[in-house]
Amino acid sequence: MSTPLFSVIGLEKRFGAVAALRGVDLELPRGGALAILGPNGAGKSTLLRIMAGLAHPSAGRVELEGGKARGASIGYLGHATLLYPELTAHENLVFACRLHRRSDPASRADTLLAEEGLAEVAHRRAGGFSRGMAQRLSIARARVHDPEVLLLDEPFTGLDRRSADRLTERLRELRDAGHALVLVTHDVGQAAALSDEVVILIEGRVQGRHHGVSASGLETAYEAALESRSAARR
Amino acid sequence: MTADIRTSEPLTPATADLPVLERWTGRARRPLGIALLGLCALYAWTVVSAPLDSVQGVIQKILYVHPPLAYGAYLGFIITAIAGVLYLRNGREEYDRLALSSAEVGVIFCTLMLITGPIWGKGTWGRWWSWDPRLTVTLLLWFVYLAYLLLRSFSGGGARTARFASIYGVVGAVLIPLNYYIIEIFGGRGMHPENLERSSLGDGMGLPFVIGNLTLALAFIYLLIGRWEVEGLRAASARRTAAGGGGS
Amino acid sequence: MNVALAILWKDLVCEWRSRDRVVAMLLFSLLMALVFHFALPDRRPEEMRALAPGLLWTAWIFASLLGLNRSFALELENDALSGLALAPGTRGWIFLGKAAASFVLISLVEVLTAFVFALFFDLDLIQPAARLAGVAALGTLGITCMGTLLAAMAVRTRFREVLLPILLLPALFPVLAGAVDATIAVMEGHPPPFEAIQLLIVIDGVYLVVSFLGFDYILDE
Repeated sequence: MSTPLFSVIGLEKRFGAVAALRGVDLELPRGGALAILGPNGAGKSTLLRIMAGLAHPSAGRVELEGGKARGASIGYLGHATLLYPELTAHENLVFACRLHRRSDPASRADTLLAEEGLAEVAHRRAGGFSRGMAQRLSIARARVHDPEVLLLDEPFTGLDRRSADRLTERLRELRDAGHALVLVTHDVGQAAALSDEVVILIEGRVQGRHHGVSASGLETAYEAALESRSAARR
Repeated sequence: MTADIRTSEPLTPATADLPVLERWTGRARRPLGIALLGLCALYAWTVVSAPLDSVQGVIQKILYVHPPLAYGAYLGFIITAIAGVLYLRNGREEYDRLALSSAEVGVIFCTLMLITGPIWGKGTWGRWWSWDPRLTVTLLLWFVYLAYLLLRSFSGGGARTARFASIYGVVGAVLIPLNYYIIEIFGGRGMHPENLERSSLGDGMGLPFVIGNLTLALAFIYLLIGRWEVEGLRAASARRTAAGGGGS
Repeated sequence: MNVALAILWKDLVCEWRSRDRVVAMLLFSLLMALVFHFALPDRRPEEMRALAPGLLWTAWIFASLLGLNRSFALELENDALSGLALAPGTRGWIFLGKAAASFVLISLVEVLTAFVFALFFDLDLIQPAARLAGVAALGTLGITCMGTLLAAMAVRTRFREVLLPILLLPALFPVLAGAVDATIAVMEGHPPPFEAIQLLIVIDGVYLVVSFLGFDYILDE
């Protein structure tokens, strides 16, 4: 592994007396795919928001190769869609392009809509979109500035089976096209299917790192990690 | 994966856990307290033995408390703003704790000032509340800093609270000169004496006034340091709970 | 600058399609007119005319509180505020876009409210219209600048919308003092007093700078 595209070093985050993260180290190589697997309340979303530059760590730091400024080469897909329901799909993207100071907002929006298969509904309001369509539109939104890394926070939540399969397919395509992915999930199957490294995060600490394991192998490891944590608490 | 659970350590933090600045001020607290006790005695004695005002009578003795309280209140609010700016610049939590402590002590001084003022006003001007510009501005500042404390308690703690509060502390400090500017423009009918030191201090009143200022300034610093230390210990305790306690 | 324009455009388009902010503000300020009618019963027309500048500004300020809160409540839907925070560069431009949109919408409501107040309380606002517009614009600028900064904080606290008036009103008393003073003079047919205008300009400048710089710190956690 050469120099990582993205490193997280000794990250801690406290909210008053509650620690969300207690020293997390991660590395993401260029074009790599990393899944962060953990139960609810493990600190996954907090970790992702800090990586995106939306929150400040209490200690530790996030390093991006070349030290680029916030948002420059990171695309973030949050829990929520980040979309405005009153605006059409096209307008939402044009607005996001302008926020990221793209010089060609309209044509960039057209390109992205075509890539995500939303060209026919480009001029319909995002408020009327199904969950699956809204999710595709937010992927387009996260890619307006053509980031090298995509950070995805539980992207499969609320999707029906067909949309979920389609999203998996799309994320594979993006990875093959050279994007690095960081996927936060509590679903072992998705973590195994989309990533080449899985990090298990429990109670704000990394409890295991797994490279290229099968879904069933990962399942066993995850269960064991959860079990050992609850044993330690007893 | 070493399990880093320090359950053997006590959860009560010691002063040694505090940042350097707070440890240093904490050490000054005890001698300050002793000096303060002595000054208080001297203060009480000079106030009692000062001559009675020929016109106002005994009510005039509020003079030895009221203006010094005002200085304390303004000092508190200015320290809050400066500490807020320092926090925004370098993100060190002790500055935020200083800002909070200073605002709280400032609110106490401001409240006492708002209580002593109307008592004096009733005694000399005949009304409890006169909408005198200076009185109005003080009331306004009192509201600003109560809002500051409210904002802190409703924004959930942590770094966000500290940022919000720092910004609002700066807004509050900006309001002080703006309000005095308004007095300048609209305050022709004010009842406060413009220059206290020169015009209205009779014989024998100067010394207790000066000592009053000194005592209350010292009291302000003493309370501020104490409050700051408490806040620092609380943060240290929270850090330990966060580091040790797991998800329990 | 481009970012500010994009946000201004976005806010106005969203408002044009939903119209909820302007309608809510307008209804509220008209209700205020009724409140004043019942709170100050049996006044002669000239008495009401003397009170009108203060009443008008009261209605404007409280309607603004509503609109400013809404301005950020709509960014919380779908967590769009995070989308804004992700944009690179100085966040002051985000502030400027949000403040400009609020300024446009609040000004619109102010014009309509003034029109209705003129009918209800028999005021002549045609004669001093230009001067009144100038004074209103100066006052509204101060309100929207400080209001945008504080609303962005208030809506993300546990108290949500309730906190904004408590935070904002103490900062608006200087604006109110200058604006009402100038409005009284203007409605009597005089030019606004220099001191009041100077005060408003100073406040606007200070609030604009403080909010522009302060906004950089409040979008993230």
